[in-house]
Amino acid sequence: MSDRPFFSNLKCRECGRLYPKEAIHICEFDFGPLEAAYDYDAISASISRAAIESRPKSMWRYRELLPIDGAPTVGAQVGFTPLVKADRLAARLGVKELYVKNDTVNYPTLSFKDRVVYVALSRACELGFKVVACASTGNLANSVAANAAAAGLTSYVLIPSDLERSKVVNSLVYGTNVIGIEGPYDQVNRLCSEIAGKYGWGFVNVNLRPYYAEGSKSMGFEIVEQLGWKTPRHTVIPMASGSLLTKIHKAYTEFAKVGIIDAEPFSVHGAQAAGCSPISTALKKGTDIVKPVPNPQTIVKSLAIGTPADGYYAIRTMKETGGSAEDCTDEEVIEGIKLLAETEGIFSETAGGTTVACARKLIDSGKIPRDESIVLCITGHGLKTQEAIHEKCGAPRVIKPSLREFDALVAGELADLAKLETATV
Amino acid sequence: MYPARLIQRPVIHELSKNFALVTNVRQASVTEEIGLVSLELDGEREEIKRAIAWLEELGIKVEPVEIQTIEG
Repeated sequence: MSDRPFFSNLKCRECGRLYPKEAIHICEFDFGPLEAAYDYDAISASISRAAIESRPKSMWRYRELLPIDGAPTVGAQVGFTPLVKADRLAARLGVKELYVKNDTVNYPTLSFKDRVVYVALSRACELGFKVVACASTGNLANSVAANAAAAGLTSYVLIPSDLERSKVVNSLVYGTNVIGIEGPYDQVNRLCSEIAGKYGWGFVNVNLRPYYAEGSKSMGFEIVEQLGWKTPRHTVIPMASGSLLTKIHKAYTEFAKVGIIDAEPFSVHGAQAAGCSPISTALKKGTDIVKPVPNPQTIVKSLAIGTPADGYYAIRTMKETGGSAEDCTDEEVIEGIKLLAETEGIFSETAGGTTVACARKLIDSGKIPRDESIVLCITGHGLKTQEAIHEKCGAPRVIKPSLREFDALVAGELADLAKLETATV
Repeated sequence: MYPARLIQRPVIHELSKNFALVTNVRQASVTEEIGLVSLELDGEREEIKRAIAWLEELGIKVEPVEIQTIEG
């Protein structure tokens, strides 16, 4: 172990000025976002594949490249979700080598948000916060509520007051303070920044943001390790703020920088829903100015951010890596959810359907070659957005408890089944 | 951020004349389609709120710099 801390500073993404590792997130000079900076030389001297492999299977196995000083105090079991070799989905999409990074089973709230909250709350404890909070309409609220409860922290979750009851229950159950704000989400956000300033609370997506965002890198680290210490040639990532995409890129790059892997070319591609696609629209138009979408209209609520904070950086990352962006209709999202479920047995929320549908378009248009390795990032469980596919999956066929009725019902299907069995034998 | 139709209007000049606020542009990017300006406003809280309401009435989208939307 080196004496130098691996996580050294916060650093402005625009001008590169260094800041201390406090609960701050904006450069005082140009208002650029701050992000975690590391002492890569110290990390290179200390980290190795063998060391990582010897550690417990959670995202903490990549500790040198995460922005907390000591051991985590929150959610020590988060991460290391399966990377599934998706041969049946590959056949349907017409590609040779396809994997699904399955964060539908991330612990404890079944979405990749547990990764970012784990880091934000662990850092909040190190910085001495007793109250943590967030503004959210969904997955983030659930994750903050659950992880804060487990860590014994008081939590406040601010939501628009007209949010569906079912979503609110998933936060209320953990005993968090849920505050409904009258007005659109923009105003909820604005209030959060005022509260963070006045009450001195740790807002995971405001003043703890530089720590929060780094948690996403663990998804990239895991993909590389699970592929046998290789980067996939293509990674398709859903975009809301665009942060996850930039952080997976950062993960691949950092692993090469500290000598864990050899630098190989890779491309990252972004997926959005057509009803709210400010990032993919800008990339397709060849501009890096992200035009806000004032009223997102899509069933993919978890990606419906009209003014994506990392849009500019996501566009830059896709361009630099030779990646592309795509968007898809709500119908295509539902087809994507069903395709993933029917071929791989993975039930994803609408963001996952978006990723599958956009990947299909990128493959069909030749932007992702069929003979190169592809990873799809599936970020949340379908049980969270069941209402989106209600009545889109058919209905059970009802019969009386009679064998004759059952015989009649399946008669037509038996021939097909028999054929299938012969083929399998 | 302001729409194309306002690009020729000296909005920041008007703002500092109409409100008791000190303005300071920290970053800006203006294209044919959209203008993005990071503007520091220094003054009384209520005056800042009135100024933001005035900007929004003009059709300009105002976001506190501390919290761009990163979460749904």
